[in-house]
Amino acid sequence: MTDLWKERLRRHQLNQFKYLRLIFNDNFVLAFIVLIGALGFWYSNFLDTINQVTIFGKPVVIILFWFIAQSGSVATLLEEPDSTFLLVKEKDFYDYFKAARNYSSMLPVVAVALVGFLMSPFAFKAAGLSVLSIIMLTLGVVVYKFAMLNFEVFGIYGKKNLKGLSIKSWVNLALIVLLILSAYLNSFILIVVAAILLGYVVSRSQSICESGQLQWQSAIDKENQRMFRIKRFYNLFTDVPGVNSKIRRRKWLDFLFKGIKEEQGNTYLYLFARGFVRNNEYIGLFMRLTIIQAIMLCLIDNFYISLIVEMLFIYLVGFQLKPYFKETMQNLMQRIYPVKQSDKIKDFTKLSMFVLFIQWLVSVFAILYKFGFSLNGLMIVAAGLAVLIFVGYFYIPKQLKKIF
Amino acid sequence: MTLELKELTGGYGQVSVLKKETFTVEDGQVVGLIGLNGAGKSTTIKHIIGLLTPRGGQILIDGLSLQDNVEEYRKKIAYVPEMPILYSELTLKEHINLTIMAYGLDHDKTWDKAHELLKTFRLDNKLDWFPQNFSKGMKQKVMIVCAFMTDARLFIIDEPFTGLDPLAVNDLLNIVEEKKQKGCSVLMSTHVLATVQDHADKFILLNHGQVRADGTLDELKEKFDMQNGNLDDIYIKMSNEDH
Repeated sequence: MTDLWKERLRRHQLNQFKYLRLIFNDNFVLAFIVLIGALGFWYSNFLDTINQVTIFGKPVVIILFWFIAQSGSVATLLEEPDSTFLLVKEKDFYDYFKAARNYSSMLPVVAVALVGFLMSPFAFKAAGLSVLSIIMLTLGVVVYKFAMLNFEVFGIYGKKNLKGLSIKSWVNLALIVLLILSAYLNSFILIVVAAILLGYVVSRSQSICESGQLQWQSAIDKENQRMFRIKRFYNLFTDVPGVNSKIRRRKWLDFLFKGIKEEQGNTYLYLFARGFVRNNEYIGLFMRLTIIQAIMLCLIDNFYISLIVEMLFIYLVGFQLKPYFKETMQNLMQRIYPVKQSDKIKDFTKLSMFVLFIQWLVSVFAILYKFGFSLNGLMIVAAGLAVLIFVGYFYIPKQLKKIF
Repeated sequence: MTLELKELTGGYGQVSVLKKETFTVEDGQVVGLIGLNGAGKSTTIKHIIGLLTPRGGQILIDGLSLQDNVEEYRKKIAYVPEMPILYSELTLKEHINLTIMAYGLDHDKTWDKAHELLKTFRLDNKLDWFPQNFSKGMKQKVMIVCAFMTDARLFIIDEPFTGLDPLAVNDLLNIVEEKKQKGCSVLMSTHVLATVQDHADKFILLNHGQVRADGTLDELKEKFDMQNGNLDDIYIKMSNEDH
C-alpha cells in the first residue's frame, strides 16, 4: 500500500511541477514581484506607525494564527476507480492514509512558520508579546495542526461527529480558546495541550480508524474537490484540462448583448460574448484584475509605478483572454459550422477590444482621481490606450492565428 | 443529394484506420453504417464532416469536395454526434439561435421548425435551461433538434439509439422518414440492428476499415448465403470470418 502511495505521490508531484513551471512564466513573475514589493513597502510603513501596544494587537495575532491553521488538508490522492478496483484492499488502506497524512504535514508547517515569522515584528510591537512567546505560539500551532490532520484521517473512517457537533468544529473551537489563553495568560499553554492531544491521537490512531468504516464515496469526493480547488487556482494562469468553471445565467447583463445583431457574421461574437459574461472564470479574472488595478491606481502617488500598473494590467487581461478562445475552439460542433476561420478571429477581436476598453475606462477614472487633469495623469491614460490598441488589434489576433 | 466515398484512406496520426473505403449514399436513401467497435464507423463520419483530412481518396457531396468550397460543403451536412456536444454557457434557446446564425438560416422560418421539433421531444418548456441541467438523453435531443431544423441535405447520425428513450427513438425515426420523403439522405451508424433493419434502405458493413459488403437486406442475405437470416445473423457471420 505504501508503494501505491509513493507511485501516486510521484505522479502528483510531477503534475504539480508541470503546472508550477507554467505559472511562473515571465509575465507572472514580473507582476508577482511588483505586488510583493508593494505589499512589503506598505507593511514596513505600517509598522513604523505603531509606537505602543494596542488592544487590537493580540486579537489580530490570534485570528491570523487561527486562519493559517485552517490551511492545508490531508491529500489522499484517491481516485474515482479506487472505490471499484481497490475495494478488496480496504483493510490495508490505513498505512496509505498514514503516509498521506505525513506528506500533508509539510506544507502547513511552512505556512504557519512563514506567517509566524512575518507577523513577529507586529506581534512584538503591537501585541506586546515576547520573542519567546511568539516562537512558542508558532510551534504550538504547528503541533496542533498535526493533531488536526490526524482528526481528518479519522473523518475518512466516518469518525466525523462528536456529541452532535462535527469534530472539525470542536477542534477549531478548542484552538481559538487555547490561542486566547496562550496569548493573554501563558504562551506555553497551547504547545503543552497540543502535544498531549497529538500524543493521544497518534497512539490511538489505528484502533480509532479500525473501529470505523472507510467512507469511500465521501473521501473520493473530498479529494476531488481539493484537486479541483488547486486546479482552478492553476487555471487562472494556464489551461488545466478538466476544469469546468461555474456558469451563471446573469440575466441582468443580457442588455450587453443587445448590440449584437443575429446574423451569420456575428455567430462567434454571439457565442464569445455570452460565454465571457456567464463563465465565472473569465468574468471573474477580468473583475479581479480591473478592481485591483483601480485600487492600486487610487493609492499610488508615484508616476512611474502607476504607469507600469496601468500598462501591465491591461496587457495581463488581454493575455489571459487567449485561453478562452482556445477553449471555445475545442468544441467539436463549432468546427463544422459553415463559418470562415477569419470570422472567428475577427469576432474574438471585437470581444477583447470591448473588454479591454471597459477596463481602461475604469482605470481612467482611478487615474483622474489621483492625478487630476495633469500632464502625468494624461500620459498614463494615453499609455494605457496604446497598450489596449496594441494588445487588442495586433497581439491577440496574431496569437490566435497560431492556435489553428 | 448524393454522398460518394471513393477509395477513402485515413485515420488518426500515422495509423490508417480506413483502407480504400468506397460506398455511395443516393438521393432519398437512409443508410445504416454497421460494424464492430473499432471497425471505423466514427472515423468514416469524421472524415465526411471534415474533422479529419483523408490521406487518400475522395469524398464528394453532390460532386463537391471540402476543398472546393468549405462553406458550401458544410452547409449541406448536419451532424448528430454520439456524445452530445453543447456550449456550457448557452441556453437551449441560444443554441438554436447560434445554429441559425452559423448556417445563415431564416430566423422565423427556422424557429417554426425548431418549435415543432422541441415540442416533439418535450423540450419546449426548457428553452432557458443550461446544458448542465439536462440529462444525457435530453442533450442528445437538443443535438437532434439543432441538426434537423437546418436546410442540410445530408444528415449524419452517430449511434442515435442508445441513450434515447423508446418514445424519442420512435420520434427520431419519424423525423428521418419525413426528411427522406423530401429527398434528403441519412447516414446513421449504429449497433442496434433490429431497429436499423426496419428503417434503413441500405446497409454498409464495415470490417477493419474496409467495406465488407453493402446493399439492401435481400442483397446481403444473398452475399452471405443466408436466406433466412436477419441482420443480426449476417453481422455475426461477418465477425466470425476473422477467425
